[in-house]
Amino acid sequence: MEPWVIATGLIFAYLLVTIVLGIVANRRLAVDLEDFLLYGRRAGFIVLYLTVVATYHSAFAFLGSGGFFYTHGIGFWDAGTWTVLVGAITYVLGSRIWALGKAFDYITPADMLADFYESEAVRVLVAIVSVVFTILYIQVQAQGLGYIINVASDGRISFELGTLILLVVAAAYLMAGGLRAVYWTDVVQGVWMYIAVWVGALVVAFKVFGGPIELWTAVREQRPDLLSLPGPEGFFTPGMWFGLMVVLSFGIVFQPHMMIRYYTAASAKTIKWLGATTPIFLMTLFIPAALVGLGGAVALPDLDIPDRVFPELLFRYAPAWLTGVILAGATAAAMSTLDSILHSNMTVLTRDVYQRYIAKEASTRHYILVGRLIIGALLVVGYVLSVRTFEFLVVLVALSGAGALQLMPGIVGICFPTRFLFTRSGIIAGIAVGLVTLYLTLVVAPHPLGLHGGVWSVLANFVAVGGVSAFTKPPSVATVARIHGTVERFVYGETS
Amino acid sequence: MDEHVRQQYPRYRNHFLPRTRAGAVATVLFMLVFACAQPPIVFLVANRIEPLVFGLPFLYMYLLALYVALIAILIWAQRRGV
Repeated sequence: MEPWVIATGLIFAYLLVTIVLGIVANRRLAVDLEDFLLYGRRAGFIVLYLTVVATYHSAFAFLGSGGFFYTHGIGFWDAGTWTVLVGAITYVLGSRIWALGKAFDYITPADMLADFYESEAVRVLVAIVSVVFTILYIQVQAQGLGYIINVASDGRISFELGTLILLVVAAAYLMAGGLRAVYWTDVVQGVWMYIAVWVGALVVAFKVFGGPIELWTAVREQRPDLLSLPGPEGFFTPGMWFGLMVVLSFGIVFQPHMMIRYYTAASAKTIKWLGATTPIFLMTLFIPAALVGLGGAVALPDLDIPDRVFPELLFRYAPAWLTGVILAGATAAAMSTLDSILHSNMTVLTRDVYQRYIAKEASTRHYILVGRLIIGALLVVGYVLSVRTFEFLVVLVALSGAGALQLMPGIVGICFPTRFLFTRSGIIAGIAVGLVTLYLTLVVAPHPLGLHGGVWSVLANFVAVGGVSAFTKPPSVATVARIHGTVERFVYGETS
Repeated sequence: MDEHVRQQYPRYRNHFLPRTRAGAVATVLFMLVFACAQPPIVFLVANRIEPLVFGLPFLYMYLLALYVALIAILIWAQRRGV
């Protein structure tokens, strides 16, 4: 049997598994909006763990990280700092977000911010930031999927058709089973992608170099420039090291598909264990990625597109069946992020826009139906964005990684009670100033003084929030007592 | 905000400062170890290939050791109920 038949067949077998899981999840679905949108707030440790790590790691972790090691060398091991920080943020901040969500029935990030800052304008602004800066991830993941299936089929399935097939499958199981389907498929996807990356990297290391240690020796002897900072192209400067750590930890955690996961935990213990242990998965996935990228730089030094280093190595050195299994793992990595973003955007649009401003008193069945229709619309938007090139998107994609960072002051102001209170005007001004600064420091004059533009934007945001809050009306005493009181009791107990 | 209005708001002890010994130990340790994985320390102290550690470059193993330590601190904090 030809290698492309095996590789493509295994990807379709994997897709079949996800569809079956979606159907089973549909049978367990109650006619309950919390069940459809939030898994009934009863996700246990293992399911939550695997959905968080599978969602965090996308097609980029599978393809892009190898490409980064290939081009910029060991500096990408900085990834360990931001993945460990994601765990610490989940531990400290995620548990507080969970407590507030449980106490006040929050479903979206905008629910929490609008409640504390007593502002519908804050709700709308947060919903816009949540959707605009993550819908672009649909494009990125869908393009990754199209590329993977195109490579696996040796060009027999076009990029456009591959993208469409995988988008339709993800949307179908999401429509069928809601967040339960996403979580169940993420469990399979998380395990599959982790095993696939490790097995693929080790196979390459042993086949090409004789083992991982020999691989490192070959890199040291032939490409020592890849083993020190700032790397061959001078990318990993101190400012970029620090900036990527901030943007890819806080910037990812504050995206709606990650924040919604905090609301779904079954207990505080679940989410604290999640924070303490997620870095084990997140960080160790970059160990095989380093083997792939650095080994690829020695074995295949002239690749035009460094992101293709992993599939190129597999097709040359791994058996066809294993290449198929591993490429299905790459598909899993992309789909687990894609379905989560589709779900979070659907949740934000259903909850923060439709339920709030269009049909306030409709039935639960009605909202679930609307949610499913929104998924269909997002599928169309995602497909069009994936197969066509829009000039303005190039700018938006550049901004997207740090977009959710602009929610940071508002969330910190809620989750960490202090005497100085941020106000609704301050939060709105901060987000506006932060987004303008982001545009200036990422697009107009990228990374001033070598510091990542995302860091400049969040600094400007905090200054604007603080400055405007000092002169404007804070949230009411009752709201502050209710919400900050809940945080105080959750963290320190009734007696503190 | 006027002072008499400010007085009406509930007051809580600072949430950025740990209130228990275990919390303080976990916070200080985490921040110290994390600082070792950030500029300028990582660029000044660890930016070199040799000495090799188990045949691997020093920078790689230095960071791996720090990451493992940070995860251990988080797990210790959870087990101590911080």
